Amino acid sequence: MAELLKVTNVSKHFGGLTAVNDVSFSINEGETVGLMGPNGAGKTTLVNMICGSYSADSGKIEFMGKDITRLPPWKRCKLGICRTYQIPRPFPELTAMGSVVVSALHGKDRPNRSFEDAYTEATLYLEFVGLFSKRNVLARDLTLFEMRGLELARALATEPKLIFVDEVMAGLNPAEAEKAVRLIERAKDQFGVTVLWIEHVMAVLMRAAHRVIVLHYGEKIAEGLPQEVANNPMVIESYLGKS
Amino acid sequence: MEFEVKRDRLVLRAGGGKWEWHIEPRYWRNPLIYIGILIIAPLVVYFVYRPLLPTIIEANVLAAIAIPLALMTIGTGRLNFGPQFYIGIGGYAAALLSIHYHLSPGLTLLAAALGGLLFGFIMSPISIIAGGLYYSLLTLLFPLLFLEITFIYTDLFKGDTGLAGIAPLVSVGSFSLNLLIYAFISLAMMLIYLFIIDKVLRSRYAVQMAAINDDEEVANSIGVNVNKVKIVSFTIAAMMIAVIGWFYAHYYGTFSGQTFLPLSFMLKIFMVTMIGGRMQIYGCVLGGYFIAFLELILIRTTGDMSSLLLPIILLILLIVLREGLLGLYRKRRYREYLPTLHVRR
Repeated sequence: MAELLKVTNVSKHFGGLTAVNDVSFSINEGETVGLMGPNGAGKTTLVNMICGSYSADSGKIEFMGKDITRLPPWKRCKLGICRTYQIPRPFPELTAMGSVVVSALHGKDRPNRSFEDAYTEATLYLEFVGLFSKRNVLARDLTLFEMRGLELARALATEPKLIFVDEVMAGLNPAEAEKAVRLIERAKDQFGVTVLWIEHVMAVLMRAAHRVIVLHYGEKIAEGLPQEVANNPMVIESYLGKS
Repeated sequence: MEFEVKRDRLVLRAGGGKWEWHIEPRYWRNPLIYIGILIIAPLVVYFVYRPLLPTIIEANVLAAIAIPLALMTIGTGRLNFGPQFYIGIGGYAAALLSIHYHLSPGLTLLAAALGGLLFGFIMSPISIIAGGLYYSLLTLLFPLLFLEITFIYTDLFKGDTGLAGIAPLVSVGSFSLNLLIYAFISLAMMLIYLFIIDKVLRSRYAVQMAAINDDEEVANSIGVNVNKVKIVSFTIAAMMIAVIGWFYAHYYGTFSGQTFLPLSFMLKIFMVTMIGGRMQIYGCVLGGYFIAFLELILIRTTGDMSSLLLPIILLILLIVLREGLLGLYRKRRYREYLPTLHVRR
């Protein structure tokens, strides 16, 4: 498997607080990598740095062999990096269809794509997440689960190679959470995306991830197969504390 | 010729031809009807009550300023409180060139447009650097600074009295006929702006703007080049507003910063956009006519009190009609999407 993303010694400080400290890892094409850690471990900051929302204070981020450390977010998206948000951030005044159309028009460069083409393609992604019947509903009027589905559709419509899924289970009931996990697995199969899955729920990563990376206080404390990581004393300590 | 009224249509038979006019509600939304009314209105006023012509011109011009301002606001996702700065740029460019170099209105139009384009481009990075309140305050500052400059360099700008002796745009001898022609020029400008911006807001660029309006960071993360959209929409809108300054200069024959650069004029434009329909371009037309005629009625009925009553009435309307006049209609028709300002309550 070819290396898709390579993060080398990235750090991020907010004033005196070190949010991410000297973290390195890589993701191969086709993998599902879990990123876990307690609250405030620096997971979302790390994703924000990779997606370009924050600039890294030091270190290097490469995507498909290209240095993207200083690229703006929209250029990273065109290269094939996209994300969903921990707290859904739909476009409230746009309909579900409109939200996905924006992505279908932008994202990966697709020459000669017309506005109508984008609408047609948006239909595909809305159908995929089961929101086709709600295509004309304003995004702000959707339920939390539907908003998460819409975010996934919006991300997929950019035709990404690597997608960051940020705590998709948060706020969902067990049935919805199960559906969400299946949806991401199906997206992976159907669209061939590589997934970096940020999650608190261990059981989900145990089932879905090929590899898990654990952050604690901004530092990487473990990386490996899900079972190995689950039995790692440092990981257990970071979640449960010292006995 | 035979005219027949049926349940769902009007039928006109003349000669060998037959014309049908459907009276389904959706056909009443045909913009041609309203354009026709706007074209006929100055003619009717000209033959019935000529003193209303300046009010019609004022309404058209207010709408013509508000329409590009709506584009600027939607494209940058920020509320610009200084559109009159570009009126000043266009107006002074036209006035100075007309008075000192005796350039024709055609050439001063070019200069005003280029001036607006240049200053718009120079100012446009503000929409990237500053956001929210800071952007509004910064943009509020520019016209006031410009006004100060017109006083400091009073030899050039004649800050206290204004520049006089600008060549008129039309001069056909009769004052009323001149006004009628000005009414049609102002209407043409407003309709051209409306047409251009309507096309933009129905195109792929509209969804970019809508996304920027709703969540700039998310728009950026899904591949929208936010900075480019902001700079382009800001610069083009600034140019369009500067052209209105050119019109003012040639219409009045004088141009004074004291008339157009203070906050009172900005408030009027702002109210046109908001009362019309929260930066809706069609709402701007509605707002322009509403405010121009409301002002006239108040001046005629309450005299000096009108300067106090007008803002009070508009403020009440702003609170009561959060979505503006057009919003009452569009509220239930969000499928016909045109981006608007996202009011964060």
